[in-house]
Amino acid sequence: MNSEATTGNGADGTPRVSYIGNGSTLRSWLLTKDHKRIALMYLISVSVFFMMGGLYAAAIRLELLTPASDLLETATYNKVFTQHGVLMIFFFLIPSIPAILGNFLLPLMIGAKDLALPRINLLSLYIYWLGGALTLIGLMQGGVDTGWTFYTPYSTTFSNSYVMLVGLGIFINGFSSILTGLNFIVTIHTMRAPGMTWFRMPLFVWAHYATSLVMILGTPVVAITVLLLAIERAAHVGIFDPAIGGDPILFQHLFWFYSHPAVYIMILPGMGVISELISNFSRKKIFGYEFIAFSSIAIAVFGFLVWGHHMFVSGQSIYAGLVFSFLTMVVAVPSAIKMFNWTATMFKGSITFDTPMLYAMGFMGLFLIGGLTGLFLGSVGLTVHLTDTYFVVAHFHYVMVGGQVIAYLGGIHYWWPKMTGRMYSEFWGKISAMLVFIGFNLTFFPQFILGYLGMPRRYAAYPEELQVLNIFSTAGASVLGVGLVMPVVYLTMSLINGKKAEDNPWMHPGLEWRTSSPPPTENFDTPPVVTWEAYEFGEDSGLDIEGARRRHQESVVNA
Amino acid sequence: MSDNHNEGHIGYPGYIGVFAVLVVGTIFTYFSSFWDLDGMFFPGANTLLALLIAFTKMTFVILFFMHVYWNSKLIKLSAVASFFWLAIMFAYTMQDYLTRGSGVFGQ
Amino acid sequence: MSTHADTHEHSHAPGLQHQFDNMQQQEESVSIGMWMFLVQEILFFGGLFTAYLVFRSRYPLAFAEASNHLDAFWGGLNTLVLIVSSLTMALTVFYAQRGNRNMQVIMILLTMFFGTVFLGVKVIEYTDKYNSALVPVHGLNKRIKESDAKHEGEPAKKEGAFVIPLIETRASAAAAADNHKVVPNPRGEFQWHYGQHVFDYAMEKEKSGKPYLTEAERIGYFSNGAFDPDKYRDKIRIFYFIYFVMTGLHALHMIVGLAIMAWLLWMAFRGTFSAEYYAPVEMSGLYWHFVDIVWIFLFPLLYLLGRHFLH
Repeated sequence: MNSEATTGNGADGTPRVSYIGNGSTLRSWLLTKDHKRIALMYLISVSVFFMMGGLYAAAIRLELLTPASDLLETATYNKVFTQHGVLMIFFFLIPSIPAILGNFLLPLMIGAKDLALPRINLLSLYIYWLGGALTLIGLMQGGVDTGWTFYTPYSTTFSNSYVMLVGLGIFINGFSSILTGLNFIVTIHTMRAPGMTWFRMPLFVWAHYATSLVMILGTPVVAITVLLLAIERAAHVGIFDPAIGGDPILFQHLFWFYSHPAVYIMILPGMGVISELISNFSRKKIFGYEFIAFSSIAIAVFGFLVWGHHMFVSGQSIYAGLVFSFLTMVVAVPSAIKMFNWTATMFKGSITFDTPMLYAMGFMGLFLIGGLTGLFLGSVGLTVHLTDTYFVVAHFHYVMVGGQVIAYLGGIHYWWPKMTGRMYSEFWGKISAMLVFIGFNLTFFPQFILGYLGMPRRYAAYPEELQVLNIFSTAGASVLGVGLVMPVVYLTMSLINGKKAEDNPWMHPGLEWRTSSPPPTENFDTPPVVTWEAYEFGEDSGLDIEGARRRHQESVVNA
Repeated sequence: MSDNHNEGHIGYPGYIGVFAVLVVGTIFTYFSSFWDLDGMFFPGANTLLALLIAFTKMTFVILFFMHVYWNSKLIKLSAVASFFWLAIMFAYTMQDYLTRGSGVFGQ
Repeated sequence: MSTHADTHEHSHAPGLQHQFDNMQQQEESVSIGMWMFLVQEILFFGGLFTAYLVFRSRYPLAFAEASNHLDAFWGGLNTLVLIVSSLTMALTVFYAQRGNRNMQVIMILLTMFFGTVFLGVKVIEYTDKYNSALVPVHGLNKRIKESDAKHEGEPAKKEGAFVIPLIETRASAAAAADNHKVVPNPRGEFQWHYGQHVFDYAMEKEKSGKPYLTEAERIGYFSNGAFDPDKYRDKIRIFYFIYFVMTGLHALHMIVGLAIMAWLLWMAFRGTFSAEYYAPVEMSGLYWHFVDIVWIFLFPLLYLLGRHFLH
């Protein structure tokens, strides 16, 4: 990548060295303290886990093509869906946006030279690798079959799979996310550039602040839970085993105290990305900035009060079920605030349909469906019918994939020129965005119906009359798969033959666009001083407004 | 962090004073466990008293040994918030266990 | 070119990292970072406290029974030891702020001394549990063959147990008497042969018409309407499990703390810290005090249950 080694001239006229060109030895990458390099290493590692998780998903969908359990044995199927969940949740969704885009952009967006604790940042990457390696060893040894939730007493007493290794991997990986969250909070508090007040920060940063709160307050609880599970499995003391006086529901309480808020770790950063995309591609100041900012915090806080809605049919008391059900409805409010504000932002904006914006609009539709079906599942009566059916599977895939993964892809496209200095192919970008959207809906919408008809999750076989919908789902999954593989190809190609990106290809006002593409190691040639509000597109923003207008005209004509 | 950060401590006599409070609290906790407060008031009264003393001791340690008294609002907030989140975890777990199988909502 | 970032590193004040503009920003960042770390530590232990709360509220009698066989004297002594170490730690920061190298070194050494004493006492306590078949893990207790257990009635001194109760409870007296009795334990299992004094006490109270057992206990201690010692033992084992996980994790934190202290000692000995730069001392102090606070709660919650029932 020699051409990226220098990116024009710096303020003093000497050639500027980008962060990519600043050292090319393995050592300069592995021992770097630069948040941008760490983000790139996260990008590669997370993508590897994403592809592995995707292969497991493909195996699941292929097995479900026919009613009988023919491609995979039932025991193998248990392992396949467990590993799909473990890899996707702990090693892809949770670190995806925070550790890649957050790591890369947070200091740039607030005008800092780096994260506040760069060595801790590097440590978190190594912990992630260690946890991932242990989990992979566990998978190679034979894998786990408990489901990603590791419910007791099955996981502690009966399962013959590699619960310990994978559990240890997840335990260790948890500290990676704690350290990332800790670093973000410190950075946002102390590293903002002069003039970058709290309410001038991009909403991406607010979303990451809320995410970091969840990471710090929730993750240690799941760490201790997994530790208790491991001791119980090794020593069989009985804390989770009802046969000798223990309580399996306690495990669920402790597990969901983290794992429900973790669902918000998996959506809040996506919401942050979408706030950026919607506002910038509508070329309009975001509607209700404060409401979106505080709704992120509200989601993070309320997210800790609703975990019992995963346990409605587990033997939890009915009173607790009612309380958790009510609080679940309350969480819908801040989410809805965001949706309304995004819609209002687009109203009368000058919208361009570049690839990131296509993803953003896809997000809004899919998250709406995912969120609303969440209310079905949050109501304590209806849940009795829907628990552990494909309705649940469809719901959380609409939120996780339709939300976080779509936002992640949109964000990767949007900031790709900044990260690599190269433009991706807009043509292929649009095609893959459409394929992902169509394929996704075709995959998961039939699952709502399947779930409503009573098809339970986590079974390799199903009644024959459900086959048509399952075929739809598998067909959609192959379209989705193509749509997800395409970006890998054309984004990689863009590194070789992509058009060289300008510093600010979108003509957007964020601080990250006011440095070179890719940025130098210390991010800015001169420490920035912020004098404009967030998402300021007017005269005060110091942007090339004429140039932006011209570009907009061209894109409209091209379309 | 406040401007008088470097002066943020209570001085030698102050430290000894806090230490004395902690020692007295510990000894009092030890001997109070022999009184039958459970029988006199309600089950758990002994533990409640012990926990009240422990909270007092903790407050002294946090405020003076850990210098939170002189620290920024953010640090104070994070100390309070962590215990608030603990309280959430305790309260919402126990609202399940304490309402099982009895009362209006019981089976 | 690879040293591009490094050239900035030490161009300002000593100890100032490249990403910060000035010392104040750095100190503030490090301080917030440390507090965020402590917040996650609090929730880390919080999961265990939740487990404690759930089981304690369900089986208070078994917990009291089990707790009576922890030695509250050693627990209390350890609390005092930790408090003294907290004082010396606070004074370390105090002297670091004044740039007094010699007193810093002395105070760090004292802190390490008391930390080691604490761990020593824990070893004594754990050894006692090992000898008394109270470790809740199969095979991790002292193995006593059937043949060795035949000397019943002989005054076999219990190894490692230094029972110095300030006020003797009925349970500790019974435990002292039990010392003469060697129960065979060929596989090193968890065993409970101290009876059910607390349970009997509660049943006595129940006769006076006041319900004393919780609903969980009415199910959890009985089989076919009769008291079942095995089911009672299972609940006691859960107490010991929680006891070992909590104190074990706490001891682990103490060991990490001692390692930090050793590093701090070396730094202080070299005269690194001054009135301008003492953040590492302060941060280590925060950690040490946090570990102390955890113990302040562990002591009454683990050692002092139901002692009033039995003295």
